Amino acid sequence: MQDKITKLFKAIADPTRRDIFHALVIATSALSITQISNQFDITRQGVTKHIKTLEEAGLVYINTQGRERFCNANAKPLKEVNKWIKFYEQFWDDKLQNLEDFLNTKNS
Amino acid sequence: MNDVIKKEAVLNHAIDVVWNAITKAEEISTWFIPADFKAEKGYKYTFTSPPNEKGCTVISGEVKNASPYVLIYTWIVADTKVETTVKWELETTSNGTKLSLEHSDISNYAGETAVAMFESFNGGWDNCISGLTSYLKQEVNAG
Repeated sequence: MQDKITKLFKAIADPTRRDIFHALVIATSALSITQISNQFDITRQGVTKHIKTLEEAGLVYINTQGRERFCNANAKPLKEVNKWIKFYEQFWDDKLQNLEDFLNTKNS
Repeated sequence: MNDVIKKEAVLNHAIDVVWNAITKAEEISTWFIPADFKAEKGYKYTFTSPPNEKGCTVISGEVKNASPYVLIYTWIVADTKVETTVKWELETTSNGTKLSLEHSDISNYAGETAVAMFESFNGGWDNCISGLTSYLKQEVNAG
């Protein structure tokens, strides 16, 4: 669990990887390493490295067909991050409610 | 990914009453978290949640802006060294005060610190918050 989150944060910390991930999310079909490197003007080697990091974080699935590898996005792990956001959404809702109650009590 | 939490509330109170509630240590300590706080730029504050069997969460940070009616401070949970930013903004409206709250820079963390942060939020925090809620209930009932 810990390891998973660490990898996820490492993966989304880099802007280029976020862009690649985004391109995969909006693509209607899987993209090959070649297609990605054309789209981003990065070497195949560079793309392969980024994809590997995304794959380790569980954000990308890879299908090998012949000599080419095709990449699919998987947004599920981002739910972990979402959990954090949800915590604070609730936290602030509760606190603002406390504030309102406090003000009403104090000034009534 | 969205890395800002935004909240708004319209409070049926004068702007200075609300400003005091979010800037004065004794008031913050009543409705929010027991605080050592001064609304002065550069002041290093601490919020300490009431203790429980799991220990307690300390939030600290520095006041970046405290001119009426904008209050900004950094927000660091315990030993995570992960800095996020909390901004309170007040505005007078026809029926009281509009409060806007922003908690930002949430994606501004990585690696081990993120793990520590998750752990402190998922475990200890729940306890600290429920402790706080009952504390507040007592206070209200006692008053």
